[in-house]
Amino acid sequence: MRASQLNKAMDFLRDTLAEGKLLWWRVFDWLAVVDWRQLYITWLLVFAVGVLVRTVEPAIWFILLSFGVKVLAGGKRKAELVATEATAKAEVATLERRLLEAQMATLQAQIEPHFLFNTLALIGQLIETDPPQAAKIHMNLIEYLRATLPQMRASGGGTLGRQVQLSRSYLSIMQARMKERLTVNFDIPEELEHTPFPPVMLQTLIENAIKHGLEPKIEGGRIDISARRDGSVMQVDVRDNGAGFNLHADEGVGLANIRERLRLLYDNRAELVIEAPLEGGAIAAIRVPCSILEKH
Amino acid sequence: MSTVSKTVRALIVDDESPMRDQLRARLRDVWPELQIVGEAANGIEAVAMANEHAPDIVFLDIRMPGQSGIEAARQLYDRCHIVFVTAYDQYAVDAFEQGAMDYLLKPVVAERLQRTCERLRQRLDKSPENIDVHLEQLTRILQRGESKKPEYLRWIQAQVGSSLRMISTKEVLFFRSDEKYTVVQTAQAEMLIRKTLKELADELDPNEFWRIHRSTLVRVDAIAEVSRDERGRQMLKVRNFSGSLEVSRNHSHLFQQM
Repeated sequence: MRASQLNKAMDFLRDTLAEGKLLWWRVFDWLAVVDWRQLYITWLLVFAVGVLVRTVEPAIWFILLSFGVKVLAGGKRKAELVATEATAKAEVATLERRLLEAQMATLQAQIEPHFLFNTLALIGQLIETDPPQAAKIHMNLIEYLRATLPQMRASGGGTLGRQVQLSRSYLSIMQARMKERLTVNFDIPEELEHTPFPPVMLQTLIENAIKHGLEPKIEGGRIDISARRDGSVMQVDVRDNGAGFNLHADEGVGLANIRERLRLLYDNRAELVIEAPLEGGAIAAIRVPCSILEKH
Repeated sequence: MSTVSKTVRALIVDDESPMRDQLRARLRDVWPELQIVGEAANGIEAVAMANEHAPDIVFLDIRMPGQSGIEAARQLYDRCHIVFVTAYDQYAVDAFEQGAMDYLLKPVVAERLQRTCERLRQRLDKSPENIDVHLEQLTRILQRGESKKPEYLRWIQAQVGSSLRMISTKEVLFFRSDEKYTVVQTAQAEMLIRKTLKELADELDPNEFWRIHRSTLVRVDAIAEVSRDERGRQMLKVRNFSGSLEVSRNHSHLFQQM
């Protein structure tokens, strides 16, 4: 009998302790996050009640104790709670990113039907008049499609050298079509060729330079593609001396897409900068951090 | 069949010389007597050459620099028969069919060219049809896929150091007037421009940017959430930006149902 009563008492004690502990942590959490203003009001109320029942001492103890807890542990606990909330937010952000990546995969396939049909027409023409040239353009087209169609593209980032090589195929095709209206110049230091650089971006900038800069201009013009390293940042420039900007024309999917992908890959450490040089035309530059890139 | 004994003269217009070569070669096979009086690489050149050589037929590429084939056709259709040449334009092809205009698809196929040439021979005696209405329609169709709202400002110019930065409106999170200047905020930077908020509000697409305060224009797509602060003011959170923006009472109706 006594043993069972003892057991009951022990159970009760354990429950009380557990409840007390829970209550303590509740109070602790509350103290940690509560506004000082609210705490003052609480203290005032507790003190007033103490005065009413004529036992001020516990009220003073409560005030002192809560003040101590708030000052000593409040900051840390608050930081913990904020961190938990931030983690939850980060998870949502990760999900959003995945969704965005899925959307982007579809966006990346931006082959102009015009380009494709015109190039095929050109190959058809050259087969009759200049078969070796036709074969060359044909190879360039295959190279271009391999790089541009998302389902053909190898996953993972490419190197700058690879991206430049693909751009050369595209530009060879365009030169065969535009003839003397298109001049191209590459200035890529050899040591940067193995530096990782995200795929398709250079291609998009070059296509934009042709489409909006040089094609609308009767006499055509030139495109300069250059790269340089400046400390921990690599900058790739695409410059044209074409028609320049129409302030009322939409920037198009291509640039928005580059910007989104840079944000996904490097957060705010990479950027796409577009400038209008005084002498006309346009410059588009992509700046990516090098040191981070090399870890990929 | 034509009873005219004089030689028929034609002009080939395409901005890509291989395409001109191809059409010329095909025409030689299909219509050897046709005299090609010239080749032009853009619309302006085409009109000038047509003035000089007075051709009976003009083969006109649609997309060319300077002046499109359609613009050139507007100036030429009352003097010569127009045949449009295009590589890829499903919409345009539909419009050609409806307007009963002559057209060829690149690469030009001999059989198809044969048919077009026969049709041309029959029509050479008559004066060219008035295709103005069809050209109008064609212009509308071709513009549909390109710039939908050319009237709104889409690029903001900001002087940064010695260079002129071009900021797409899609990059902008919000504009805020700051005494003399206007501040452009993007996810990455804050730049100053001279355009006033009033000028911006007039030039920007009202569906793209909303005025939420006397001194703030916010990009609608960038708005992340709207909440009330302890003083009851509506506050906007903008994506990729840590601060929040106040919505003034005059503009709070924009977020009424939220």
